[in-house]
Amino acid sequence: MSVPDYMQCAEDHQTLLVVVQPVGIVSEENFFKIYKRISSVSQISVRDSQRVLYIRYRHHYPPENNEWGDFQTHRKVVGLITITDCFSAKDWPQTFEKFHVQKEIYGSTLYDSRLFVFGLQGEIAEQPRTDVAFYPGYEDCGTVEKRIEDFIESLFIVLESKRLDRATDKSGDKIPLLCVPFEKKDFVGLDTDSRHYKKRCQGRMRKHVGDLCLQAGMLQDSLVHYHMSVELLRSVNDFLWLGAALEGLCSASVIYHYPGGTGGKTGARRFQGSSLPAEAANRHRPGAQEVLIDPGALTTNGINPDTSAEIGRAKNCLSPEDIIDKYKEAISYYSKYKNAGVIELEACVKAVRVLAIQKRSMEASEFLQNAVYINLRQLSEEEKIQRYSILSELYELIGFHRKSAFFKRVAAMQCVAPSISEPGWRACYKLLLETLPGYSLSLDPQDFNKGTHRGWAAVQMRLLHELVYASRRMGNPALSVRHLSFLLQTMLDFLSDQEKKDVTQSLENYTSKCPGTMELITLPDGLTLPPVPFTKLPIVRHVKLLNLPASLRPQKMKSLLGQSVSTKSPFIYSPIIAHNRGEERNRKIDFQWVQGDVCEVQLMVYNPMPFELRVENMGLLTSGVEFESLPAALSLPAESGLYPVTLVGVPQTTGTIAVNGYHTTVFGVFSDCLLDNLPGIKTSGSTVEVIPALPRLQISTSLPRSAHSLQPSSGDEISTNVSVQLYNGETQHLVVKLENIGMEPLEKLEVTSKLLTTKEKLYGDFLSWKLEETLAQFPLQPGKVATFTVSIKVKLDFSCQENLLQDLSDDSISVSGFPLCSPFRQVVRPRVESKPVNPAEGSRPGDLGHVKTLEAILNFKYSGGPGHIEGYYRNLSLGLHVEVEPSVFFTRVSTLPATSARQCHLLLDVFNSTEHELTVSARSNEELVLHAGECQRMAIQVDKFNFESFPESPGEKGQFANSKELEEERQEARGLEINSKLDIHWTIPSLKRTGEASVEGLLSQLVLEHLQLAPLLWDVLVDGQPCDREVAACRVGDPVRLEVRLTNRSPRSVGPFALGVVPFQDHQNGVHTYDLRHAVSFVGSGTFYLDKVRPSGQSACLGALLFLCTGDFFLRIRFHEDSSSKGLPPSWFRLPSVHVRALGTQA
Amino acid sequence: MGWILVTSATVILFLQNYPLYIRSVPTENELKFHYMVHTSLDVVDEKISAMGKALVDQRELYLGLLYPTEDYKVYGYVTNSKVKFVMVVDSSNTALRDNEIRSMFRKLHNSYTDVMCNPFYNPGDRIQSRAFDGMVTSMMIQVC
Repeated sequence: MSVPDYMQCAEDHQTLLVVVQPVGIVSEENFFKIYKRISSVSQISVRDSQRVLYIRYRHHYPPENNEWGDFQTHRKVVGLITITDCFSAKDWPQTFEKFHVQKEIYGSTLYDSRLFVFGLQGEIAEQPRTDVAFYPGYEDCGTVEKRIEDFIESLFIVLESKRLDRATDKSGDKIPLLCVPFEKKDFVGLDTDSRHYKKRCQGRMRKHVGDLCLQAGMLQDSLVHYHMSVELLRSVNDFLWLGAALEGLCSASVIYHYPGGTGGKTGARRFQGSSLPAEAANRHRPGAQEVLIDPGALTTNGINPDTSAEIGRAKNCLSPEDIIDKYKEAISYYSKYKNAGVIELEACVKAVRVLAIQKRSMEASEFLQNAVYINLRQLSEEEKIQRYSILSELYELIGFHRKSAFFKRVAAMQCVAPSISEPGWRACYKLLLETLPGYSLSLDPQDFNKGTHRGWAAVQMRLLHELVYASRRMGNPALSVRHLSFLLQTMLDFLSDQEKKDVTQSLENYTSKCPGTMELITLPDGLTLPPVPFTKLPIVRHVKLLNLPASLRPQKMKSLLGQSVSTKSPFIYSPIIAHNRGEERNRKIDFQWVQGDVCEVQLMVYNPMPFELRVENMGLLTSGVEFESLPAALSLPAESGLYPVTLVGVPQTTGTIAVNGYHTTVFGVFSDCLLDNLPGIKTSGSTVEVIPALPRLQISTSLPRSAHSLQPSSGDEISTNVSVQLYNGETQHLVVKLENIGMEPLEKLEVTSKLLTTKEKLYGDFLSWKLEETLAQFPLQPGKVATFTVSIKVKLDFSCQENLLQDLSDDSISVSGFPLCSPFRQVVRPRVESKPVNPAEGSRPGDLGHVKTLEAILNFKYSGGPGHIEGYYRNLSLGLHVEVEPSVFFTRVSTLPATSARQCHLLLDVFNSTEHELTVSARSNEELVLHAGECQRMAIQVDKFNFESFPESPGEKGQFANSKELEEERQEARGLEINSKLDIHWTIPSLKRTGEASVEGLLSQLVLEHLQLAPLLWDVLVDGQPCDREVAACRVGDPVRLEVRLTNRSPRSVGPFALGVVPFQDHQNGVHTYDLRHAVSFVGSGTFYLDKVRPSGQSACLGALLFLCTGDFFLRIRFHEDSSSKGLPPSWFRLPSVHVRALGTQA
Repeated sequence: MGWILVTSATVILFLQNYPLYIRSVPTENELKFHYMVHTSLDVVDEKISAMGKALVDQRELYLGLLYPTEDYKVYGYVTNSKVKFVMVVDSSNTALRDNEIRSMFRKLHNSYTDVMCNPFYNPGDRIQSRAFDGMVTSMMIQVC
């Protein structure tokens, strides 16, 4: 006996062994179909008793094991069922012959046999035979089970007769010595008459009867027989058989204690097949009633309610603890015989199963440990595998998962041992997979994402390597790629640098043949291998969705803003929302992406490998919106630090897009890494709204780009900067080319400008444009260009530079009311300080400081296409950097009254601060040539201004709460008015540049007052003709009517006034003659009276003069000193002087 | 939970059933010891669970011989915080009796406690303490 049956369990002792075998050519499929049906009949209740017969079917049984049938009867083949195909009657004799040959093999032990013939029809089949059954086909054999039951009953009859025969066989007859095959030669020549020998025979026979009783379903009988046998054999030191008797005792006890069975699957089936355990216990009770001291008187009839039977049973049956002790004892006896190794091994296995049921793992492990050391003869490789597998299963059974995994792995390695000519890689792989739970290794990488590493990395790594190798040898490269990826992903922290290199190298080798995918691999036995995304190659630490660049950022129209403000919560801030961390990752980011525009996501990655990592095809995984991902390839240096990577893509539709992860190809393995599965990743939200497409505008200008970037204020981002250098007062046209480089028509454009805060005082409009011309070219189709012109006008005040002003301020502003006779006077005042600036001076640093800069931003708001309908626009900013150099400026301004009260002379000291010769021209005057650094005075006669007439909207006034500001504003407006009246231009002929010169900054309150029409407007009329400046002619002797009119435009009432008229003659040499009593006489009073004049009222008084001789006379109208005129500025009382030329009578 | 293993001069120590510290003197066949200790954990688990039922208070930390193999003996020890120490000793080394093993484990335990007292040690990390290393080395020399 050399082939151990590792599936043995204690219950097998009560079974009858039936071998089912095919004869001739029977297809495996058909055979097992029938075998299955046959083996379903595994227990039979014998007709007229309550005993149950258990059958164990085998389709293969080594005949040498059969030889041990006397030792343990359940090893004896008692029934043979042969299955055969036979299609013609001609073949029948041959087939039948084969059946007989088959019977011969087990012939010595067979109780009965059957032949099942399939396919044969006809007269042979008609003959009724007990040992042959004919069936037309494998499908049509409904009575197989019935036949088997009959067959088993016939077996039972033989068994029962044998049992009774042996049991009663005690009187006188010589009891034969039962022995196992290897003992036979030991007993040659032994004295058969000795007491010792007799006892031995008796003991062995008792044991045999016990076996038979157990098989025949008489548990209690068997217990009694076993007990007796143990006593007998112990006395004669027949250890082998003593062991068998003890084991029989154990088996019977186990069957009694554990009706559910100990053999795992078969036990479970038996359990279901029978009924409740209580009932199963009842079934054994008939045996209990048969317990009598004299086994020979055993009968099966009647139920004896004698309680002594119960006592007897309890006495005979071993307790659970005893079972183990007896097993130990039995095994120790078996171990004395080298030839009984199989028996010992099987006993160990049986004991372990029992212990597993008893949950005594430690003791079970000792039995198993012993089993490991049982040395059978040289085992074949297949047997070794079987042995290790069963050891693994048994360890599993007692909960030693690691030990189980260890043996499973040994079995797997045995499958591919070098001594095997055809290594079974498939089996090896299958076994290796089964070891995974024992090493707490699952093939799902997700289990390794959270927390610390589970399990023992060193052994896990080894196992994974073996899996890789086995799957490769199996010829399934996809599988090995998957395992290798898994190894790399989960064991990265435990791999040494060299191992990392080796693993990646081999991974690359494999993937060159079979690239790694993200698909689930399903193994034939149903196990699925989830995909392994390389989330650690490279490791991503930070994911950030980037806003579009400022110039492409969509903005919502103001009118629609109200809707977006109303978010779901009515609170501006709520701690509950702020701390809702679960939503953090899915939080919507408060900017938008635009359909059709390239959007970016920034990842911070690093490479944990000790060599350069090439990541190919890295792109984004998104959902919600159709998204065209534009993959990138990158190469990360060895053990790089955090490295920014920008992944881009273009959303093709609108909606809400969620960035779920990214995909990569590393070492030929495709990975889809989802952010949710990445541990320790930082993200500021991954959901963004995509709005409909908008056009894109590109601007280019006529001016050179500037390296000088503006300081962006209040979050403005400037896309382009241009710079220009201008002389003060110059105007330049900036041509902006607007090109629509997007895919949508540009429908709407708005332009605004913003001057960056500057300390400089700026006069006039810095930037002005006419949008209409540009808008006429709209809508601008993609690819089309429109132009837009902006005028840049710089007017700054350079006059405040102290060094220049100092010496010029010595001339006090003349406020004299006297008119100058020479209306246009040029004063060339050579000054030491203001001599022509020599070149050296011109380049001194102080002069550079004169250059002033102005910065402004032009904002282009544009929109179009579907995005416009949704109410979005884009904003493009153009930065403008203007350097202003001083051109001409006025160092001093003063006024001189002109001859007319409504005019005056403005005296301007003009200074040329450029290095070029320039000419200055006022509106109506000739040009004044100024050399570099030269200062000249120019006088311009101007009409006085009526500033009050400027319309000033009351609303605007209201805005200036501060009266000072209001005043400034007003002054500015005045300056503008004055400037436009004066219209002073300069020209640099050498540079061909022209510009305006401005006086605004210089106009002091005093000068302004002079330039302003007084609120009291005095008119003198001579003979009804308004007289101002012009000479009024009259005749000598005729009375001349003189009328003084006052128009009050001041806001209050004035007067009354008394005016006196003083005539005088000017000799043009500085001498005035006032004594003119003989030349001029008044008609009536020489004093005029004016009544009180209300605001905007008018009043007049009349008088007359008589000129007595010819000549030029001047009339000065003077106010009498009167309290009423006090408190009013003197300039209000400026009356024009009247020049009358008295002519002689007509002669 | 954790372990230490010592073989004829080898120590391994783990947490959550993975090694915290492994030292073996014949380094050439370390994987063999890995397997040996790994499988011995079954026995340790079994012994702990059996103990848990019995005496929780005055528990003996020393688990005794876990199992003998042909060449080695495997001893176990478990702290109250379920850190497991496993020692594998050459079975030919007869000088080592139960008492010696027990005192070695106690020394190991003391040293491990010192490691845990280090505020910079993160429980669950591999032990890289030099003092612990030194103690194990001295113990191995003593054994050999």
